[in-house]
Amino acid sequence: MKSKWIALLLLVPLCAPAQTTYQSAQPGYRYEFPRDHFNHEGYQTEWWYYTGNLSSSDGHRFGFELTFFRQGVSREPSTNPWFVSDLWMAHLALSDLTGQKFYHEERLNRSGPGLAGVDEPSAQIWNGNWQGLIRPGEHDLSAVASSFQINLKLIPAKPPVIHGQNGISQKAEGAGHASHYISLTRLQTSGIITLNGKPYTVDGASWMDHEFFTGSMADTESGWDWLSIQLEDNSELMLYRLRHRDGTLDPYFSGTFIDPQGRATFLPLRDFTMTPAGDNWTSPRTKATYPERWHISIPKLSLDLDVTTPLREQELVATYGPSYWEGSVNISAKRAGAALHGLGYLEMTGYASPGQSVLPR
Amino acid sequence: MGRFTLLYRLMLRPLLQRPGRALLILFAIALGDAAVVAIDMAGDAAAGSFRSSMESFTGNNDLEITAAGGVPETIAAQLARLPLDLRLSPRIEDHATIVATGETVPLIGIDLVGEANGEAAQRLDQAGLRDPIQHINDPDAVWVAGALGKAVGEKIDLLINDQTRDYTVRGLVPDTAKLGGDAILMDIRAAQQATGKSGRVDRILIKTPRSGSFDDWQRQIRRALPAGIMLSPQGSATAANRRMLAAFRWNLRVLSYIALLVGAFLIYNAISVSVVRRRADIGAVRALGASRNMVLSAFLLESSLFGLIGSLAALPLGRLLASGAVGMLSTTVNALYVSSTAGALRITTGSVLLALIAGMGVTLASALAPAREASQVPPTEAMARGRREYEVRIERHRDALIALILAVLGAVAAQAPEIAGKPLMGYLAAMLFVGASALLTPLVVHAVTFAGAGLMRRLMGVEALLACRSLGGSLRRTSVLVGALATAIAMMTSVGIMVGSFRQTVLTWMDAQLSGDLYLRPAGALNADQHPTIAPRVAERIASVPGVESVARFRAYEIEYQGLPATLAGVDIDLHRREQSLSFLSGRPPVDVLRELAAGDNALVSEPFANKHHVKAGDTITLPLGETRPTFRILDIFYDYGHEAGYILLARQTMLKYLPNPAPTNLAVFLKPGADLESTRAAVQKAVAGSDLLILSNAVLRREGIRVFDQTFAITYALEAISILVAIGGIAGALLSIVMDRRREFGILRFLGGTGSQIRKLTLVEAGLIGLLANATGLALGFVLSLVLIYVINKQSFGWTIQFHWPVTVLLSSLSLVYVATVLAGIAPARIAVRLNPIEVVHEE
Repeated sequence: MKSKWIALLLLVPLCAPAQTTYQSAQPGYRYEFPRDHFNHEGYQTEWWYYTGNLSSSDGHRFGFELTFFRQGVSREPSTNPWFVSDLWMAHLALSDLTGQKFYHEERLNRSGPGLAGVDEPSAQIWNGNWQGLIRPGEHDLSAVASSFQINLKLIPAKPPVIHGQNGISQKAEGAGHASHYISLTRLQTSGIITLNGKPYTVDGASWMDHEFFTGSMADTESGWDWLSIQLEDNSELMLYRLRHRDGTLDPYFSGTFIDPQGRATFLPLRDFTMTPAGDNWTSPRTKATYPERWHISIPKLSLDLDVTTPLREQELVATYGPSYWEGSVNISAKRAGAALHGLGYLEMTGYASPGQSVLPR
Repeated sequence: MGRFTLLYRLMLRPLLQRPGRALLILFAIALGDAAVVAIDMAGDAAAGSFRSSMESFTGNNDLEITAAGGVPETIAAQLARLPLDLRLSPRIEDHATIVATGETVPLIGIDLVGEANGEAAQRLDQAGLRDPIQHINDPDAVWVAGALGKAVGEKIDLLINDQTRDYTVRGLVPDTAKLGGDAILMDIRAAQQATGKSGRVDRILIKTPRSGSFDDWQRQIRRALPAGIMLSPQGSATAANRRMLAAFRWNLRVLSYIALLVGAFLIYNAISVSVVRRRADIGAVRALGASRNMVLSAFLLESSLFGLIGSLAALPLGRLLASGAVGMLSTTVNALYVSSTAGALRITTGSVLLALIAGMGVTLASALAPAREASQVPPTEAMARGRREYEVRIERHRDALIALILAVLGAVAAQAPEIAGKPLMGYLAAMLFVGASALLTPLVVHAVTFAGAGLMRRLMGVEALLACRSLGGSLRRTSVLVGALATAIAMMTSVGIMVGSFRQTVLTWMDAQLSGDLYLRPAGALNADQHPTIAPRVAERIASVPGVESVARFRAYEIEYQGLPATLAGVDIDLHRREQSLSFLSGRPPVDVLRELAAGDNALVSEPFANKHHVKAGDTITLPLGETRPTFRILDIFYDYGHEAGYILLARQTMLKYLPNPAPTNLAVFLKPGADLESTRAAVQKAVAGSDLLILSNAVLRREGIRVFDQTFAITYALEAISILVAIGGIAGALLSIVMDRRREFGILRFLGGTGSQIRKLTLVEAGLIGLLANATGLALGFVLSLVLIYVINKQSFGWTIQFHWPVTVLLSSLSLVYVATVLAGIAPARIAVRLNPIEVVHEE
């Protein structure tokens, strides 16, 4: 789940007759890899997003996020490369968990003569010098920010997971309010993080989401809370819930459980609860208040999880669209009474400026 | 004796009694100094603070990437993907003419999406571009400065290259965004489309991180660039143009110092006269115990006061003159150098200092000799007169010898090469010649008055004889007067001859150069650095018009060569054409040279280019073109008087090899023998309908060329006028003081039976004689100086070969004007001389 809606907010005036030009996410979509790791021009909105928890050999802990967004603007034919068919946005964040500091940058580009884009033949996705190389057995990420750089090698340990049912992840009531949503839930990660000129050799695990759809938002929704969890027993969880403006929760919230062998189980609303459990943090910059402790209960899997964060301030303050909190979290779980630990990423949107229409997952 | 008494007797009393003399000195200081201040101020506004109009909306960057003919846009992407934390701003930079006003303004295309990133986003925000992305794919969207007086949503007709279209104002950029006056902003894609620069951008600005070494960043970026792409500090085009304009400003400044120099002669004269007049007072105060030093300091103090007041008066006067000059200057800068908008005129600390230093410096320097002379006055000699005059007479031969030495030194200095690109030795030569002439003046005055006295008597009677004798008698005063006026006249004459010769040379050159029958260019402005293009198909259409024999395409690009701006041009070569339009320094037949030019990587350069960059036929030059760095052999150097920065000329086919854009910037149309000009012109007009092109006949283009030339030299004429005005004003005052000095003589003449009209005649003949002597000496000196100007100063500063030519009409009329003015300047003193009461003046002393 991402702040993809930021791009949408930015572009709402541009893409009025979206449905006539773009296709919508429909049930029965046949996924094929590596093709589906790359661009789907027929859909208006698409994103690729990597998060991960890493640590150096001397125990220095980091969280990172690198996200590429694409938003279709026009599908008119044009020979001029500067013509804006798509806008490309990207977010890059580094959580120095040991040093208790959060760094983030954002970026907006047009495709131009090669400023940003996705290219299947060369397996590249990039926005300026933030780039990913998506090869079947390995994803390479590199990105340069003003005070840090990341150069990471990510090896998928499990096959791609398709979320939702019948190839679509429903976001709200009604056809078309859905997306195609793919995850690589465990990417063994190693590489170098350079922070303020100092290189750290790191390893750990990352998570990649890739989603594409056309205009799937419902305007009554105000934000969402999303979690990716990697447990030490080699299983993973993805959960999200959608909030309405009136404070109620949307019935279309769900999750996926991936067992150590990579088998995915769809978790509909009735199978779990996901509730804020205090530890509220108020952002000094946006004045938004985020619940930074969560409790999750999945009776079906005899699983109870407590989510806390090692760094309170992991809010991305965005120039365009609303700001959101996205950060590394610690998981302490109990499965059938036995303690189980894990790491994850938590995203909370719609707190900074409630009332604006957002895109549901 | 108290200091105050001394001051009162020597300074205040004469000042109160004769305020006219003080006013004269002040006038000379103020006007001469004002000319210097005005040129400095106007030069600053028009050229000094020159910032390329293309620096609009650039923000604060460190480096820029440019290439002749534009940077391939893929370079922007390559740089964006380097693992370096750079901020990149690719830009289209061109010009648009606002159809409604005819004003040509910079047209800037920026990546409105990329500019929304990071720090740049704040700039967009400050610039009022809050939601530019809403109009991102709209090819008609423009953002304009508030100064243009347009409202959001309003249409604006713009002529870009040869196409007029209406654009829609999508936002107003407040002046605080430093868009640069009235620039027009577009998205890069719309700008690329409007200017026809597909595949290329004009410049990529780069902001490097503060951390790390700047040289390191520069090295890393350079490594990623192809050979033909230039990486330089931001604004190097501005710097290059500044360097070029510096020479222009320097010469202009020197010209303005002439006015001050003429002023100096007059100050010297006025103060000498006042010293002579106060000899009695000096003698008296010396007799009362004042030391020599006290007298010296009193006179110097007086001069400093004059200098101070005159300089202060020069400031507002200079500001006034500058407001007239700045328009002329910026016309020149635009026509000859680079597009720019004149800045505001400001009296800065610098201009105040300049006025004070120049004004007081010149006053004190001019006063030094008379003040020293005053301090030498022994108490006993206070009443005696004429000793100094005697001294001058006996030292004439020594002066003549010094004059000869100065003239020889001047001739030697004139042979020396330039120093640091400036014709310093040329100026030194001119100064030496002026000095020589000043020293020779007493000799000339003496010889003429001595030898001419008899002739004068026969021609004009006894009054003329007396006038002649009196001039020769008060040689020192007379020769300073004649010297001052002669110097002013010499300046006028020399500049007149130089400009006249230049004009004639340009006319002759245009005859040879403009061999086409019709010339076409886009309808916008015509600044030296603007090269709007014509759609490529236009040339083909014209070629198929009946009556047209051939069309020659000319394509110009503004480039930078060795830190200086230059124009790179490609021309169609047609060896079968009846006349070829270039003439070469080597004198080789154009057809031979052009055949070689067409044969390969060869180039021709214009004379100013060759002089500026010290290249000659047979040398090679390496130019960054496209992505490569080809080397061209210089075949020959051609005469050109149209473009000071200079041309590098290639065959069109050679140029297209490196810069493939086929759009020409100018077309020359040659008619078939016997084709009717007017009907063919009408047919051509019809063939190019849909493009906004100016079609100029050969004759009109020639007229336009000479109009631009005259406009360019308008400022020169204005400066000369100021010098002459200073001189004539000075003459009037000086004649007046001569009359006052000789009151006793006039009184005695009246006692001896002289009538009022005889006295008047005497005075006017003196004025006329001064004018005549000054005109003759000035003309001679002017001729010498014009040689220095044409063959040394002009050649070294601008690199133009000018054929010497006497502009007879201009010279005759201006010399007569000066002569008449001198005689008229004698009228008021003559009146005063007539009105003197003989009894009173004879008894006065």
